[in-house]
Amino acid sequence: MKTAHEIRPGNVIMLNGSPWVVQKTETTRSGRNAAIVKMKLKNVLLDSTTETTFKGEDKMEDIILERLDCTYSYFADPMYVFMDAEYNQYDVESGNLGDAAAYITDGMEEICQVTFYEGKAISVELPTTIVREVTYTEPSARGDTSGKVMKPATIAGGATLSVADFIKTGEMIEIDPRTGEFKKRA
Amino acid sequence: MSTEIANQHWDIFCEVVDNYGDIGVTWRLAKQLVKEYQIDINLWVDDLKSFSHILPGLKPDQATQTFDHVTIHQWNVPLDINFVPGAVLIEAFACELPEQVKSQLIALQQSPDDTPPLWLNLEYLSAENWVEGCHGLPSMQASGIKKYFYFPGFTPKTGGLICENELLEQRTAWQSDPANKLALFSQLGLSGIDVQDKVISVFSYETLALSALCQQWQESSQKIHALIPKGRSLNSLTHLLPCSVEALTPGQQIVINNLTLHILPMTDQPSFDRLLWSCDFNIVRGEDSFLRAQWAAKPFIWHIYPQEDDYHLVKLEAFISLYCDNLAPEIAKYWTELNLAFNQEQQSAVNLHWQNLDSVNLPLLQHAQKWPIFALNDADLATRLVQFVKNS
Repeated sequence: MKTAHEIRPGNVIMLNGSPWVVQKTETTRSGRNAAIVKMKLKNVLLDSTTETTFKGEDKMEDIILERLDCTYSYFADPMYVFMDAEYNQYDVESGNLGDAAAYITDGMEEICQVTFYEGKAISVELPTTIVREVTYTEPSARGDTSGKVMKPATIAGGATLSVADFIKTGEMIEIDPRTGEFKKRA
Repeated sequence: MSTEIANQHWDIFCEVVDNYGDIGVTWRLAKQLVKEYQIDINLWVDDLKSFSHILPGLKPDQATQTFDHVTIHQWNVPLDINFVPGAVLIEAFACELPEQVKSQLIALQQSPDDTPPLWLNLEYLSAENWVEGCHGLPSMQASGIKKYFYFPGFTPKTGGLICENELLEQRTAWQSDPANKLALFSQLGLSGIDVQDKVISVFSYETLALSALCQQWQESSQKIHALIPKGRSLNSLTHLLPCSVEALTPGQQIVINNLTLHILPMTDQPSFDRLLWSCDFNIVRGEDSFLRAQWAAKPFIWHIYPQEDDYHLVKLEAFISLYCDNLAPEIAKYWTELNLAFNQEQQSAVNLHWQNLDSVNLPLLQHAQKWPIFALNDADLATRLVQFVKNS
């Protein structure tokens, strides 16, 4: 069991007798420090999606399914194709990747985990840290500061996130793709 | 325990966490649903002693009692009063429902002939943007029962704000005659307040900012009366008190130059509303008194409940952004700076910003008078809640 707060995109949870792929999580804070977790879920069996909200401490069954280490190969709309160490290829629907799709780039070398349900590849978890190039960000407004001032940036793959003010276009940065959080300059 | 469905009553469960906030909100909501929508309400409360401070007639040792046509039950763990499911079940502020109640919901869900009550989690009030995206969303439970998150808020896409139907008219009528406030002060045992004196109500958490303001008020050219109930605000002012906070008595006065501290007696909710209507400025905390200060149409400071990593400042700034939207930039700046300084215990800054804000009192007051209409967006929380239940 995991709490809603611990669930990440790519996890598969069992709710109301059905397995659901977590496509997106958004944690916010309610009163008295309590977390509220909004999730976008896709029903593996019915191919339907829903948005739902949980208390951060709500417990849910995180299904342990077969997983394989794979690397990204190519995109054949609407499928993302991943390959394991034996060169077997697995198609994952773009809708199942949720927000993670914005971190998939041609030639990426990071090892991803492809999750299978009844033999079908249903979701992908990215590693907790990936390195991407900043394709655009405004010049620093305050000079080369190491403070907590943040600004928006777009990275290779198309995701947008907040980065430290000292980051420049063209630099490589470390990101946690589960939360979209900037970690540091790579 | 029975799983019969008796009628279309609603149950509200409230866990009292810090004395008056949670119970203040749920008690107001319960009364309004009974009075304006004729809904039978069972209010389950785990701490009747705290509740009795805002409902003086309540007997903390009595398991079930009725006030304002609301049935109030003592919520013990395990539940020792028979729970009969109704049409709606509200867990206030994400409190955990008793196991017996949850098992009854599951039994009803699994029965082909029964329907469980509509299950709502009434959440805390926030002005943050994300509230719109979460309001009204179902929360899938492992049992298959849907629980809906209901978020109060300031925009049409949220659950609205608690405000009784005739409240604003009653307030306007009250404020039209200065004799009303003097009569109230007299009734509360507060003496020596003249109609031209500045009166400030203080209901905050502990903060050095309050101490700094009291220092400033002592040196004011105008007489200032600070009305403070026994409690957390006074913990910040012990250096001004002649005795311990515990030894203070309601009605007691502490005069320091032009500042008089008055020890307020505890009041019920209608009297607290009238108190806020009667003061020139209100310092309020939490959620319930924060809203009531807005309905009072007077300038105020919101001492927001402190959260980890100063996240409460994010919530404060979200409200400030809404409140200042139609406010002249200079006044908005002063009001914003005062609230931020107070919530960060910046003593010298709070004094400076108080002085600045004092210089624009009239336009700020005019803004405070317009704000409730804008904030309510044509429908209060109870109205939207009843509509939400009808549509679900």
